[in-house]
Amino acid sequence: MNDSIILEARDLVKDFPALRAVDNVSLSVSKGESVFIVGPSGSGKSTFLRCLNMLEIPTSGKVLFHGKCVSMRKINRYRGKVGMVFQHFNLFPHLTILDNITLAPVQTGLLSHRQAKKEAHELLERIGLADKAKAYPMQLSGGQKQRVAIVRACAMHPEVLLFDEPTSALDPEMVGEVQSLMKELAKEGMTMLVVTHEIGFAAEVADRMVFMDRGAIMETGAPEVLMNSSNQRIRDFFNKVL
Amino acid sequence: MMKKIFLLSVFAVFFLCNAASEQILRVVTSADFPPYEYHEGDKIVGIDIDILREVLRRGNCKMVVEDMKFDSIIAAVQTGKGDIAASAITITEDRKKMVDFSIPYITAKQVIIVPENSKVQGVSDLKGLRIGVQHGTTGDSYVTEKIGEPQRFSDASMAVAALNRNKLDVVVLDNDPAMVHVAKNPQLKILEKPLTFEEYAFAVPKGRQELLKMINDGLTGMHLDKTIVEIVDKYNERTQKSVDSAQEDAASGFKADFYTNFVKNERWRYLVDGFIVTISVAFSSVILGVLIGFVVAIIRSTADQTGKFKIADFVCRVYLTVIRGTPVVLQLLIIYFVVFGSVDVDKIMVAILAFGINSGAYVAEIIRSGIMSIDRGQMEAGRSLGLNYSQTMGMVILPQALKNVLPALGNEFIVLLKETSVCGFIALQDLTKGGDIIRSQTYNAFQPLIAVALVYLVMVVIFSKLLEILEKRLKKNE
Repeated sequence: MNDSIILEARDLVKDFPALRAVDNVSLSVSKGESVFIVGPSGSGKSTFLRCLNMLEIPTSGKVLFHGKCVSMRKINRYRGKVGMVFQHFNLFPHLTILDNITLAPVQTGLLSHRQAKKEAHELLERIGLADKAKAYPMQLSGGQKQRVAIVRACAMHPEVLLFDEPTSALDPEMVGEVQSLMKELAKEGMTMLVVTHEIGFAAEVADRMVFMDRGAIMETGAPEVLMNSSNQRIRDFFNKVL
Repeated sequence: MMKKIFLLSVFAVFFLCNAASEQILRVVTSADFPPYEYHEGDKIVGIDIDILREVLRRGNCKMVVEDMKFDSIIAAVQTGKGDIAASAITITEDRKKMVDFSIPYITAKQVIIVPENSKVQGVSDLKGLRIGVQHGTTGDSYVTEKIGEPQRFSDASMAVAALNRNKLDVVVLDNDPAMVHVAKNPQLKILEKPLTFEEYAFAVPKGRQELLKMINDGLTGMHLDKTIVEIVDKYNERTQKSVDSAQEDAASGFKADFYTNFVKNERWRYLVDGFIVTISVAFSSVILGVLIGFVVAIIRSTADQTGKFKIADFVCRVYLTVIRGTPVVLQLLIIYFVVFGSVDVDKIMVAILAFGINSGAYVAEIIRSGIMSIDRGQMEAGRSLGLNYSQTMGMVILPQALKNVLPALGNEFIVLLKETSVCGFIALQDLTKGGDIIRSQTYNAFQPLIAVALVYLVMVVIFSKLLEILEKRLKKNE
């Protein structure tokens, strides 16, 4: 086993009533790696991702973080280290942008109020939204909201970021700004696990692509390898979406 | 032998009254029945009260008087909430099963009031007519047993008002108040032949032999030295005066009525004092209700979402079912007479507790609906950032939930404010009870009712306005 593996799923299974959403999935992600999970709708990609930080409790199997099994007892500390970005942003509408970003680092004791505020301003500066610090989420466009959601996750100094279809709910003209922020993060060496339908974007950024179908991983490999797979089902999928 | 018993009982009385260094006895009455007991200024006075005070003075005891609804009085003595009931209580077999009676101190009669042009001549004509009585009085039980179901009113002036508006054919009342009512309403008359004669006595809890002995000794003495007759005469003069002034009032219009109801004898004070009680009970209990509601709502929704707190959740469900499934008046009475049956607690506290517990059930469901209205992505986002469940609940979910349910919470307060009008059942003088007291003094049903209604209305309008401003201010944040 590779020493630099940060996050690993081992034989993960998630059953819903009358449906096995995730069927025995094993996957490991190394430090600095960008792994993109693609596949048809309903193939269990999102459920798998949500199992990784226990938003869905796996029916069986294990999630390991730095080789240690993740338990519900220390879940909060673990979640601080594994950030999540949602399809619908899930910003807190009653808080200002600044408070959205500082809430978790301050409440979990990661940073002092002052330090959290300083870092939040830096993060906002970086994504060009410094002037929105006092604004409320309702006053932002979709693309701006998602970028704030990404830096909100970053404010916890995570080691891994999980993205659950981060651009699916955006108007087409706003997809670009979110993608370039993700690209930047990847370049800086952030370890990322991304569920997406944007195959072109995935091919460009991914170190490794994972194809999931009917709850299971069908094939894993570098983007160009996967996209030229000999598997008929995978080829059909790429032909349809590209 | 006789001497010995006498000495013993004298000793017992002495012991009872002096051992606790001048014992104070709690006297319960329904002060809406002049001239026997009624409010004058901020005091309760009347024939019964004066007689009892003299009895107790002779027994070296003091008393504090508490006012409550007549139908609660026997229960109050039975449960020991009061030591003595002095409320023109007629001795009946049914009541004897629940309390012990002193020897009678007065003989009174129940009379029949009819409109001037009525064809009713006497008792034999009553069958099948619409008869109004004051609930819980002997007139009530006599009519119920001997004639048929009467219409029961909580106070006499309401029954008379109903008779005036042709909603009743006759009203059965005690003679003295009946005289004042008829004087005030020239279109009514009292039939010459009374319905019944009856004897009034004081009631004490069962088994209080020394107390009963002291009262009986006192009454016997007062019968002998004519003190009772003196007291009755004194009040008869007053009754005659109020009959006279009622006749004057009857001829006068709205303005004079207004003067009698609110200005004379500073009667507006009943409304002001009642208003203060109503506001304090409503505000305090809504705060208690919100506290209870919060806890219950959080337990319930946490149990729903995470499956924890199974037992607490069950307790909350039982609480919600019982409280929402029973009328608040009954809850109030049960808390006063059963839960605090043997403890002396401030009645405002009892009311706050009862209404707070009641309101808590409704607030809980309001807040829970608010929590459920928040997108589940909010909880997930909070948890995914490493916040624990209570942090997310407290800082992410509840602030949003509360904002959403603010109109419903405001509505709950408005409902509660008006529900406190049943405070009178435990003798708390709230706004409604204040109106009742004025009515019982002025024999006028219309103006006090309207005045009380107006005060409630104004309170609610002002509160709604404040709520509207608050909502607008909260909306600005978005």
